[in-house]
Amino acid sequence: MSDYKSVKVNQGRGGWGGPLTVTPTDAKPLIYSVTGGGIHPVAAKIAELTGGEAFDGFKSSAPFDKIAVAVIDCGGTARVGVYPMKKVLTVDVHATSPAGPLAQFITEELFVSGVKPDDVEPA
Amino acid sequence: MSETTAPPRIVYESTVTAVGDQVQAFLGHGMLILFADDSPAELHDMSVRHTATVAEEGPQTGDTIVLGQHSMEVLAVGPVVGDNLLNLGHIDIKANGETAAKLPGDANVAKQDLPLPTPGDAFRIIRGNRSTTEEPR
Repeated sequence: MSDYKSVKVNQGRGGWGGPLTVTPTDAKPLIYSVTGGGIHPVAAKIAELTGGEAFDGFKSSAPFDKIAVAVIDCGGTARVGVYPMKKVLTVDVHATSPAGPLAQFITEELFVSGVKPDDVEPA
Repeated sequence: MSETTAPPRIVYESTVTAVGDQVQAFLGHGMLILFADDSPAELHDMSVRHTATVAEEGPQTGDTIVLGQHSMEVLAVGPVVGDNLLNLGHIDIKANGETAAKLPGDANVAKQDLPLPTPGDAFRIIRGNRSTTEEPR
């Protein structure tokens, strides 16, 4: 069942952090999109290239230990910190840098921002 | 800033449903985070949740944000604030007194002690009404 592939997620223009390598597993299959308007195109592309399962965080919540990567459209304060704080790889489609009360948890090993679908490539 | 003669209009109206355990700590940093009631569980601790009955537009500079008995003037709005609010019920209110939004999701108001909401409080954005109760520091 496990035929997952890896992708490299590079920082986009004006972005910060990364690159991240994302590899879903049977234990962590979810490409978790916590974005407005359903599954974000960046999450869809990561899911398509890896074989992971795109999951809409605003439809239902997923257990953190099932998440391969969280894709957010955060404006800089809340979501940018929540997922890195839980050691979840985090991709922000907006070009944010570490800020907000949880900035200490946002590291380039866990977080990349400014990401567009073109910044996602097979690894 | 141009004065408007149109009557005040409510562009967003909702009711607070829950207040996370960490909200008070965020208030201490001059920050108040709202998310829709159906937001993912991991965001609940840090946010005030609410359900909207009117969601026409996000805030603009000069609008009045009403939260319970407290009302405050919007000084600046980042470029993703409107989408965040209309799509996710999400807004980051920063009581920093700055007239330019530092982060794309910031909605700035005057430096002040932001109120700790309680469930049942109204959250409302009013356009064309400058009367506020805030006491800038």
